[in-house]
Amino acid sequence: MRIAKIAATTATTAALALGLAACGSSEPEAKPDANASAASSGPKFAGQTLTVWRLGDPNDVVKKYQDELDAEFKKLTGADVKQEWIPWPQVNDKFTAAAAGGAGPDVTEIGNDQVPIWQSQDALKPITDVFKSSPDLSQIPENLRGLETIDGEIYAAPWGGGTRAVLYRKDWFQELKIEVPKTWDELIAAAKKIQEKKGKDVDGFAFNGGTDANHLLGSLVWSLGGDYAARENGKWVGKLNDPAFKEGFDFYTNLVAKEGVSSKSRLTQNSAEIRVRFSNSKVGMYLTAPWDIATIKEESKGKVKEDNLSFFSLPSKDGSGPAPSFLGGNDIAVWGDTKNAELAGEYLKLAAGKVWGTKYAKEGGFLPVYADELSRLESDPVQGVFASSFAKAKAFPADSNWTEANETKAVLQNAGRSVIEGKKDAAAALAEANKELEEILNQ
Amino acid sequence: MPPWLIPYVLLLPGLLVIAGLLMWPMVQVVIMSFQKVGLPQIRGTRPAEYVGFENYTKIFENDLFWTSLRNTVVFAAVTVTLTLVLGTAVGLLLHKLGKAMSKVLIIGLMSAWAVPPVSAAIIWRWLFDADAGIANWLLNLLPDWLSQALFGQADWSGHPWLNDTVTIYLILILCVLWASFPFISVSVLAGLKSIPSELYEAAKVDGSTPWRTFWKVTFPLLRPVFAVLTILSIIWDFKVLAQLLILAGQTNREAYNLSLYAFTEAFNAPPKMGSGAAIAVVLTLILLVITFVHVRQMVKQGDELR
Repeated sequence: MRIAKIAATTATTAALALGLAACGSSEPEAKPDANASAASSGPKFAGQTLTVWRLGDPNDVVKKYQDELDAEFKKLTGADVKQEWIPWPQVNDKFTAAAAGGAGPDVTEIGNDQVPIWQSQDALKPITDVFKSSPDLSQIPENLRGLETIDGEIYAAPWGGGTRAVLYRKDWFQELKIEVPKTWDELIAAAKKIQEKKGKDVDGFAFNGGTDANHLLGSLVWSLGGDYAARENGKWVGKLNDPAFKEGFDFYTNLVAKEGVSSKSRLTQNSAEIRVRFSNSKVGMYLTAPWDIATIKEESKGKVKEDNLSFFSLPSKDGSGPAPSFLGGNDIAVWGDTKNAELAGEYLKLAAGKVWGTKYAKEGGFLPVYADELSRLESDPVQGVFASSFAKAKAFPADSNWTEANETKAVLQNAGRSVIEGKKDAAAALAEANKELEEILNQ
Repeated sequence: MPPWLIPYVLLLPGLLVIAGLLMWPMVQVVIMSFQKVGLPQIRGTRPAEYVGFENYTKIFENDLFWTSLRNTVVFAAVTVTLTLVLGTAVGLLLHKLGKAMSKVLIIGLMSAWAVPPVSAAIIWRWLFDADAGIANWLLNLLPDWLSQALFGQADWSGHPWLNDTVTIYLILILCVLWASFPFISVSVLAGLKSIPSELYEAAKVDGSTPWRTFWKVTFPLLRPVFAVLTILSIIWDFKVLAQLLILAGQTNREAYNLSLYAFTEAFNAPPKMGSGAAIAVVLTLILLVITFVHVRQMVKQGDELR
């Protein structure tokens, strides 16, 4: 019996021990260096190495950009750059481990909506001085720095803006004589027609119920004038019970429940999982960002050709123009534990500066954050769609707890699923979600 | 060195390793469960703030805790029972089989047991994939009337298995059962080999049926083996994490069990290590109580037999 007892303690504690083993070490924090010198400091930093984390899959286009940027940086400063690529689904785990154990990068790419949460965990270094000392960075419009500015300090430089639009199979649309949808009814009709002709295992318009589900739900709701929550008297007040929100939510759940334009078996898929199915010709339309095109080209091994892909803005219900898109984008930030803040600051100035920042945006399928460059894009065949909806872009509640509601607790994803599976009606599900959203945002 | 000291000296290295790798982290988890701990506190750049029982009261107020607890307990009860019954049955079969067949079977069983949990879960997820899974394919092969009569539906194409808590747990049970009963079988087989064959001959002479022989001869003699196997199975099945994480994913919170709930609280942004630790402590306490009660019962029954 003693063996069983010891085994019991051993087994239970082993799991906990393993979880904690990784979080043991603590490293002294490097003092932030306020005297970041002007951009071209010559080979002052020769022999040093800067670790840079890029997020996503290194497809040919972005890899080439990164190599060129790093070569340019070496020419200017003499320092080498070690690039590491973190796939999006692992970002949270990597950041958590890095922030707990100190084994982080010097500079990292970061989603703009992730800045508040990682700032709250002390993972990012304030770079207000870097911003002020760079003639380029200080040109970035203030309304694009909302998520990055916390208590008067800037924690990340906007690198490229990314809104969402509907990616569709142009060849299928032509073959089936489908016009680009201008209203929600047309969108559903187009999706149904695709399913009719391309097989019922094809999703006409893919439902997103994964970690980025609110990109889709948000657009639908905003286009009707609804929103998630509003700040009233210093507190967040949930708006999920408003009729406008409910109408958008109904359309969202009915994509699966009533219209069946997306399969019931994939209620938790995120946009990356949808993209994989799209590359395998199993999806007709889905809401995503322009950089998916490069990945699809590679992933489908040439089966889905680039000229068969095109974007349209997600329409509003009655056809009165594009639905407001989520104001997304990627930033570049200095990691809190860097031992080389000065060099990291130099890297930021170069990468997010006008030349390389614009190049990052254009080649990676983002929108440039510099106003004159952005306005030049409106006539671009692919980017025009995004440039015009960028003007109407909206943000999620600006609170570091939003990530918990959005990804960890997945409040609206769970509400949506319970409605689709018929466990709750929409009003009850939204009432519960509203209560939970308020609790999370106000904690 | 006095002779009475020698056993303790020999035990010391083992105890030190257990204390360092298990007891100390355990103590830390308990301390953490009374604190508010995020990443800066783990790193030591900001002090952790004591919040008393707040982590505990918060999780007890949360519905998620209670559905997780229900899922954990029901899953463990069903899986432990099935594992022991199937494991014992196969153990008895192995004992009856000839040398060659029993070897073949043991190799098969051991291969299933040797598959890492993550790989096993991925295999089972694919078997039950809605579009490409073999489960739906097989069900579609059934004659429509039979399928209709048995399950109330004839068309299984695209039938989702991993949406609903009940079907997720059905597959989880299969997955865990598949990987864990071989160990029970082999342990039971080892126990069976140690029972003198005279006892069985005597039972046979007295005209005992195989069923009766099992309960009157085999089971009482193997009681200590079963006691250990039950405890181990309970512990293993209470802590299932990797398989559930792969089958259900992290956004389907109705399907959480306590381990997955603790994991999500502690490591997803924003990390709440304090409440994650509190859930882990509750899980550990539950296991300790179950183990304690069970062991006492076994010891008592053992005394009665004497």
